[in-house]
Amino acid sequence: MKAAASESLPPLARNSHAMHCKLCLSGLPFSQVEMDSSRIALGFYCLGTLDLLGVLETKTTPSEREAWRNWLWEQQTHGRYGSGFKPSPYMTSDILLDEESEFDTPHLIMTYTALMSLAILRDDFSKLDRPGILKFLRSCQRGDGSFSASPNGGEADLRIVYCAFVISSLLDDWSGMNVDAAIAYVQRCSSYEGGYGQTPFGEALGGTTYCAVASLYLAPSTPLSPIEHRLSSSERSRIIRWLVQKQTSLGGFSGRTAKAADACYCFWCGAALNILGAGDLVDSAALASFLGKCQYQFGGISKAPSERADPYHTYLSLAALAIYKPKGTNESWELPQVDVLRNATVDTALWARNRIRAGEV
Amino acid sequence: MYDFSEVEPLYAERPDWADVTPLQQYQGVDPLAPINYSTEYQDATDYFRGIVKTGEISLRVLQLTEHIIRMNPGHYSAWQYRYRILLALQLPLEEELRLMDQYAIDFLKTYQVWHHRRLLLGALRSVDAAAAELEFVARALDTDEKNYHTWSYRQWILAHFNDEARLWAGERAWVEHMVERDVRNNSAWHHRFFIVWGSGMRVGDEDRERTLKRELMYVKEKIALAPNNPSAWNYLRGILEHTHTPFSTQAIFVQLYTTSASTPGDVFDLDNPPPSASAVLPCENALEFLADIYEQEGGAQISKAIEIWRSLADEHDTMRRKYWEYRIKGASQT
Ligand SMILES: [Zn+2]
Repeated sequence: MKAAASESLPPLARNSHAMHCKLCLSGLPFSQVEMDSSRIALGFYCLGTLDLLGVLETKTTPSEREAWRNWLWEQQTHGRYGSGFKPSPYMTSDILLDEESEFDTPHLIMTYTALMSLAILRDDFSKLDRPGILKFLRSCQRGDGSFSASPNGGEADLRIVYCAFVISSLLDDWSGMNVDAAIAYVQRCSSYEGGYGQTPFGEALGGTTYCAVASLYLAPSTPLSPIEHRLSSSERSRIIRWLVQKQTSLGGFSGRTAKAADACYCFWCGAALNILGAGDLVDSAALASFLGKCQYQFGGISKAPSERADPYHTYLSLAALAIYKPKGTNESWELPQVDVLRNATVDTALWARNRIRAGEV
Repeated sequence: MYDFSEVEPLYAERPDWADVTPLQQYQGVDPLAPINYSTEYQDATDYFRGIVKTGEISLRVLQLTEHIIRMNPGHYSAWQYRYRILLALQLPLEEELRLMDQYAIDFLKTYQVWHHRRLLLGALRSVDAAAAELEFVARALDTDEKNYHTWSYRQWILAHFNDEARLWAGERAWVEHMVERDVRNNSAWHHRFFIVWGSGMRVGDEDRERTLKRELMYVKEKIALAPNNPSAWNYLRGILEHTHTPFSTQAIFVQLYTTSASTPGDVFDLDNPPPSASAVLPCENALEFLADIYEQEGGAQISKAIEIWRSLADEHDTMRRKYWEYRIKGASQT
């Protein structure tokens, strides 16, 4: 049964997946206009795909990469809230305004994905306003320990908390937040099922369970929360049980109890298990068989078989496959190691850590 | 809904907008993933950027934001500006909520639509409005009964108005109806946990022992109806853990579901409803539960737990073989 699953595995269509993302980087049709307010995140998934496939240097030109780096830096803003990245210039006018507009502010998810995108593009980070980023983090943390996406409001949930944690870990400086309050918030999102909801009281969800687990492992020890006591062994067992339960009979993971499998949760649940040191509990042959079927005939990977592909599901599927290499497959399935806590290839994450770290200037 | 494109010319051609200087979007260096804007969208957002610079607060700008949101419900700044106008002009927020009803159904998956409602309801501080919102959420769940935004909005409303008995009064009956509709809807089970256990004590639920008894009865009836339903089993485990009740208190019930054939007893035991005749047995969740009981009891019972995990690994749940072997290893070590 198991052997049959991997024998019938189609090749990983590396070239078409790369082309799918390359095409998105060069432009999107108007039907994708909603992406304008999260364009850097989309860029991260496209560039991340090329990075995972090891084709950034061959599929893009030096001048394209330079233009993207410049464009990304143009999204860095400086103002009363500190410094961060905005999603795109969709609210930026062609005449320079004297002050930062209240309606064109930086965004925490965009700041995290901008830093990772710049690392993929091997930027030297000489333009990074480190004290500004710390100030930005401080202006986004709320009284309950959570972070809002923007200093003047917007969504506040575990996804944003995770971004603040990764940014602090890249800076190797946690003075931008009250770590104990943030950890307490993460713990309040724990649900009776074992996974974590998007906010306190929320239903357990694969993506936010990843955010919670990664955050708990990223934050340094504090007197109130020594890292070795952050998750009790019974809590850890409950999370593992819930995550393992999410692998469906099709081989892919679902995001919630009794929902259908979706390619992105192969990463969110699979990576969370890996962080918890329980990665060997995943049936990786079944996982690869599911993701193999999610490959879209015109390139890219979709959330489920016979759906349309997008860069988000393409990147996360490849990242999942990089963690869970199917055995006995041909070299089309070879992918580099990933840094599961920061969600990038090990090389890119290392580049980011070495150059973003504060105090190096 | 109002179709702006059919009736109105571009803002650039409208005399009533001639006093506004449109501001084009900054282009600069070669952009990453540029969007091919339609003329209508470009025109509207040029005027919106112009408005944001002057800070104009007016009804025509309110309409402009609606126009933009219709084309791009993810336009965060248009939502923000819209909310500012509503407050500044002291416009009736209930009316805005009703306008949002159609938006929410059209853009169920867009976060901003739900965030806007929260802001409105938070500003209104009206229990009547909150009650109307609960009704709206119920209708929205008819369209998409597991939508995460919709359920979290309902939980937010209830938590925000935590002391309003009137809002809470019908909640358990309502969520029972949702479980009735689909006994496998995990969002509904989660919501039940939230209202009974997660959010503080409700009137009538002060006697926690009685509440636990009622909840056990409820979930076991639902398991009897559809034994292979992880949502119900997770609820059962959840309430036992929450109340620090040992799993072993449910041993008799669980064992009805771990044998391969249903054996109807002579006397129907209300506390331990048996599976229906058509149930597919043994039930994996019940096997797991029984093994957990044995593991908690420890000592000689561990071998019984291991036997069950073995059967799950080899026969009943081979996909999770490594997990069951990990459980065997864990129990063997202690
Ligand atoms: Zn997905």
